[in-house]
Amino acid sequence: MTRQNINRFALILVGVVAFGLPLVLRSPTYLHILILLYLYAYLTSSWNLVGGFAGVLPLGHSAFIGIGAYASTILSLQYGISPWIGMIVGGILAAIVGILIGFPTFKMRGAYFALATIAFGEGIRVMVENVDNLGPLKINGPRGLQIPPTNIGFGNYMFAGKEPYYYIILVMLLGILAITYFISRSKLGYYLNAGGEEPEAAMALGVNVARAKLIAMAMSSFFTALAGTFYAQFTLYIHPKSVISLDFSFEIAFIALIGGRGSIAGPVLGALLLRPVSDFSRIYFGSTLPGLHLIIFGTVLILVMIFQPRGLQEPLTRAYNRLLDKIFGGTEQKEITHEYS
Amino acid sequence: MIYILEDAINGVLMGSIYGLTALGLTLIFGVLKVINFAHGSLLMVGMYAAYWAIILTGVHPYVALIIVAPVMYLFGYYLQDIVIKPIFKAEKDVREPITVIIVTTGVWYILDNLTLLIFGPTYRNIQDNPLKGKMLEIGEMFISVPKLWGFVTAVVTAAAVYWFLQKTRMGRAIRATSLDREAASLMGINQFKVYNVAFGIGTATAGIAAVTLVPFYNIFPSVGVLFDIKGFIIVVLGGLGSIGGAILGGIIIGLIESIAPQFMTATWTEAIVYGLFLVVLFVKPSGLFGVKYDW
Repeated sequence: MTRQNINRFALILVGVVAFGLPLVLRSPTYLHILILLYLYAYLTSSWNLVGGFAGVLPLGHSAFIGIGAYASTILSLQYGISPWIGMIVGGILAAIVGILIGFPTFKMRGAYFALATIAFGEGIRVMVENVDNLGPLKINGPRGLQIPPTNIGFGNYMFAGKEPYYYIILVMLLGILAITYFISRSKLGYYLNAGGEEPEAAMALGVNVARAKLIAMAMSSFFTALAGTFYAQFTLYIHPKSVISLDFSFEIAFIALIGGRGSIAGPVLGALLLRPVSDFSRIYFGSTLPGLHLIIFGTVLILVMIFQPRGLQEPLTRAYNRLLDKIFGGTEQKEITHEYS
Repeated sequence: MIYILEDAINGVLMGSIYGLTALGLTLIFGVLKVINFAHGSLLMVGMYAAYWAIILTGVHPYVALIIVAPVMYLFGYYLQDIVIKPIFKAEKDVREPITVIIVTTGVWYILDNLTLLIFGPTYRNIQDNPLKGKMLEIGEMFISVPKLWGFVTAVVTAAAVYWFLQKTRMGRAIRATSLDREAASLMGINQFKVYNVAFGIGTATAGIAAVTLVPFYNIFPSVGVLFDIKGFIIVVLGGLGSIGGAILGGIIIGLIESIAPQFMTATWTEAIVYGLFLVVLFVKPSGLFGVKYDW
C-alpha cells in the first residue's frame, strides 16, 4: 500500500465514522456537543480563508454570524420565506458588508486591523441592540428574536431531533473543507499566501494583493453567515449578545491559532481539541469552577504560541507520518512544505 | 444649560480617568509595538489589589497607591519577562508581531477567569470610604469628588510619565528603543530590559487608575473588558504611543458619554463612540494627536 492510499483510506474511515456516529450515539447531550464542535470547526474554517491565508487577524467575525442569523430569521418570521433561502440572502448580505469593511481595513497594519474589526463587530452589536424596527423589519433590540417551533420540516429548516442538524452541519463542514482545499491550490490561494507573507514582493510581481484579500473576505463572510442561519435554526432563539458577541469572535480565532492558521486541517484539529475541553468542563465544573475552560484555553494558547507558533497541526502531522513509518516501514515520501524561511 | 455644563465637567473628570486607564496601553504600544489585550485585565487585577488593601487596612483609598503601584509594576515587569519575552525572541525581525497580541489575549482570559474562580462573580465595592458618593457643590452644580481626585491623579501621572521619558536615562533608552530597536541595541541598550521596564510602568499606571476607580466603581472579574475596548478606542483616537493623546482621547470619550445622553437614548452613545473610532481609523489612523513617529 502506498502512502497516498493509506491517507485516502484513513480519510474515508474518518468520514464513515462521522456519518455513522448518530446511529451509535443516542445521547442528545453528546450529539449536541458534536454539533457545536462541527459548527466551530466550520466557523473557524471560514475565518481561516481570511485570517489564515491572507495573514491578518480579524476579530469581529461574529458580526457576520449575526447578519446571517438575523437575515434568515427576519425573513422567515415576517415574510414566511424558508430559512434555506434566507440563508443565501444572509450570506450575500454578509459578503457585501465584508467587502465594504475590507476595503478600508485591509490597508491597515496588523494591530490596527485587529482593532478595526473588533470595533466593527461591537458597533454592529450596539446598533442591533438599539434598534427595535428597521423600516418594516422587526429586529426587537436587546430582547432578540424567538423562532416558534411550530412548522417542523425540512423546508422550514426545523427538526424535532438533533440528528438532522448533525448531518446538515457535517455536510457544511465537509463543503467548506473542500472549498478551502481547492482555494489553497488555486491561483487565489497562492496570491493570498504571497500577499500575507511579503505584500511588497507580491505586488512587485504583479499580484493584486488587495483584490485577492477582498475576494477572500467576501467568501469568508458569506460562509460565516451561513453558519449564523444554522445557529439560529438550531437554538431557535437569537439575541445580539449571543450571536454578535466578542467571545464568539475570539473563540473562533483561538481555535484557528491553536490548531494552525492557514492550514486545512488546523481548524478541525483546533475544534477537536478545544471544544470538548470547554463542553466537559462546563458540564462537570460549571457550577464549582466557573471559567475553568477559559483558563485552559488561555494557557494552551500561550504555550502553543511560544512553542509551536504555527499551531498544533504541524507537530501532529509529523507524529502521524512517523507513526505510519513505524507501522509500514520507511517508505518515506519527500515532505512537502510551503516554508521558505 | 447649567445641567449641560455640569455634565460636561463630570464628563471631563471621568474622561481623564479613562485616559489614565489607557495610558499604559499607549506606552506599551509605543515601545513594544504591541496592543496589549490584557491591559483591562491588569486594571482589574489592580482594582482587586486596591480593594483588598483598603478593606484589610482600612486606610484612605488613595493611601493604597503606596502598595498597589509598586506591586503592579513588578507584576507587569515579570509578566513581560516570563510570558511575552520568549515570543519576542522567536520573532525578532517582525516589527508588529501578531503572535504577541494573541499571547496577551491568552493572559487576559487567564487573569479574568482565575479571578472569577477565586473571588466569584460578586460585584464588590467599598461601602464606607471617605470618598464614596461625595459631591462638591458649586452654585447649582454638583461635581463628583472621587472623580475630581481621579482627574488630578490622571494629570499628575501623565506628567510624571512624560517627565520620566524625557529627562531620565532609562526614559531616553525607552524612547530610543521605540524609535528603532536595532539602532538602540547597537548603542548598547538592552532592549528586553527596556521592554520589561516599559511594561512594568504601563501596568503600574493601570494600578494607579485602578485606585482612582475603586472608591466609586464596582469591582468584578470582567470589569476590565469594559475598559479594554474603551482603552483601544482612546489610544487610537489620541494617537497610539502619545501620552498626552491618551488623556485627551479619554476626555473626548468622557464628554461624548456625558453630553450625548442629553440629546438621545443613552445606549446610542456607545454606537457613536464606535462610529467615531472607525472614522478616525479610516481617515487618520495616526490619531488626532499622533506624531509621525510613534513618540
